[in-house]
Amino acid sequence: MLSISGLEVSFQGSPVLNGLSLSVVAGETVGIIGPNGSGKTTLFNCISGFVTQRGGTIALRGEEIQDLQPNARALRGLGRVFQNFGVFRNMTVLENLLLALESRSDQMLSILPWSSGRAQQKEQALALLREVRLEEKASLKASSLSGGQMRLLEIIRTVAAGAEVFLLDEPTAGVSPRMKDDVTGIIRRLQELGKTVMIIEHDITFIERFCTRIVVVNEGRIVLDGTPEQVRSDEQLKEIYFGRA
Amino acid sequence: MSDISGIIFSEYTIHLAILVGLYAILAQSLNLTFGLGQLFNLAHVASYAIGAYTTALLSTEAQWQFVPCVAASILLSGAFSVFLGTIALRLTNDYFAIGTLAFGAVVSSLLINWRSVTHGVLGIPGIPRPEILGLDMYQNSNFLALLLVFVVAVQALYFAISRGPFGRSLRALAEYDQAAAALGINTRLVRNVAFLLSSAAAGLAGSFFAYYLNYIDPTSFAFGEMIFLMTIVVVGRPGSFFGVLLSTAFLVLLPEPLRFLNLDSATLGPMRQLLYSLILFAVVWWKRRSIFPEQREV
Repeated sequence: MLSISGLEVSFQGSPVLNGLSLSVVAGETVGIIGPNGSGKTTLFNCISGFVTQRGGTIALRGEEIQDLQPNARALRGLGRVFQNFGVFRNMTVLENLLLALESRSDQMLSILPWSSGRAQQKEQALALLREVRLEEKASLKASSLSGGQMRLLEIIRTVAAGAEVFLLDEPTAGVSPRMKDDVTGIIRRLQELGKTVMIIEHDITFIERFCTRIVVVNEGRIVLDGTPEQVRSDEQLKEIYFGRA
Repeated sequence: MSDISGIIFSEYTIHLAILVGLYAILAQSLNLTFGLGQLFNLAHVASYAIGAYTTALLSTEAQWQFVPCVAASILLSGAFSVFLGTIALRLTNDYFAIGTLAFGAVVSSLLINWRSVTHGVLGIPGIPRPEILGLDMYQNSNFLALLLVFVVAVQALYFAISRGPFGRSLRALAEYDQAAAALGINTRLVRNVAFLLSSAAAGLAGSFFAYYLNYIDPTSFAFGEMIFLMTIVVVGRPGSFFGVLLSTAFLVLLPEPLRFLNLDSATLGPMRQLLYSLILFAVVWWKRRSIFPEQREV
């Protein structure tokens, strides 16, 4: 589904990704862990087109996408959920969903607020909000939502945009422990729908709930790639996080 | 009763209504980029000037009629925005503002120095008002009626934009353009189209301005005019359709009472500028957190 080969990124001459290669098959859920500054978010930024790579290729369903703009990648099914909440806080919850549906159906330049499909889009948006129990908040500003609700909205909005591959950057950051279960629920729902999911997380016990594969990134390279059990029991993981004894 | 209707339909009130109408087009079109899109567009007056000079030159030197003159003004101002957008929209935030300011300065300089075309500081006199459907547009009431048709059309367009998918895309870019791009929104295209629609309407306002005054010169398109337009949008709340409409009427009419203070014109002009500057400063200070919220980034 997603194939990354020899990805190299540097900021002001300092290498951040050093020839990173990774392949993810359709429907797989992959957890990505690593210490701060290891290049995890840069990897997601590079896949989604917000950071330009110095070398390497990124292929989605066999098509190379590394030269495409972020919006073109999104339209090909690449969905990004941001660590710092990507919801539009000044818009209503419903508008956040409508925006994704309108973009997907190429209506972003449509000037008129009314059209034949508008009622149908609204129904579709409300149905998606119902799935994450946000239907009652549809007319409220997104800024009034809690961190967990914002996260649910952002993920369901990415579903509305037609994503097939989900890049979730720390989906539990800023989310209360109670809402973590709801975030878990929506990720499980993505799995049921057969979506491909990559999750950056610091909490290994959280990603173990759904990931059959965990990738450890350190200094811009993949240093471990295996099942949660294999990764947990590897001495290298302790070295990366706690240093050599 | 006849006294009241006499005041309402006096030349003075018709003149004020024409000014409010012209500024309603100018301010609402700036509100699209500067308000909804949060693009610090400082070249709006340049688009206005291009529209005015296009109509002035075509109607005096080529004797073009009303419709082709207005159409040419809209098209040329729109073309200017496409050129400007192609370059300036590569810049972000403060750099974008500086870029558009530079474009505005270039246009302003051309108006003064390209004398063979613009007649420099002497300006272009004798711009003939059109005759439409047998109505004499030298009658200000007729001119106002004609202008109102365009004012209503432009306001309806911008109202629809502010409520529809395009306006929503623009608001999304203003708040967090990377999140908007991650939803598949073509950020550059949306901004360019906003620029085009905004600039084309400024061209339309410029065309009517030239017809109304019958004379234009570079002083009407100085940077002070840009500050005035920004004041209207900021006071009305950037992005608010009705707010900008109300603040247009309020700020255009606000200095009118000064006329009755028996001040000489050398004092009156600076007093108006001072008044607008104070209002702009006060509103920006009072609403500094909410007028231009910080752009978020990944």
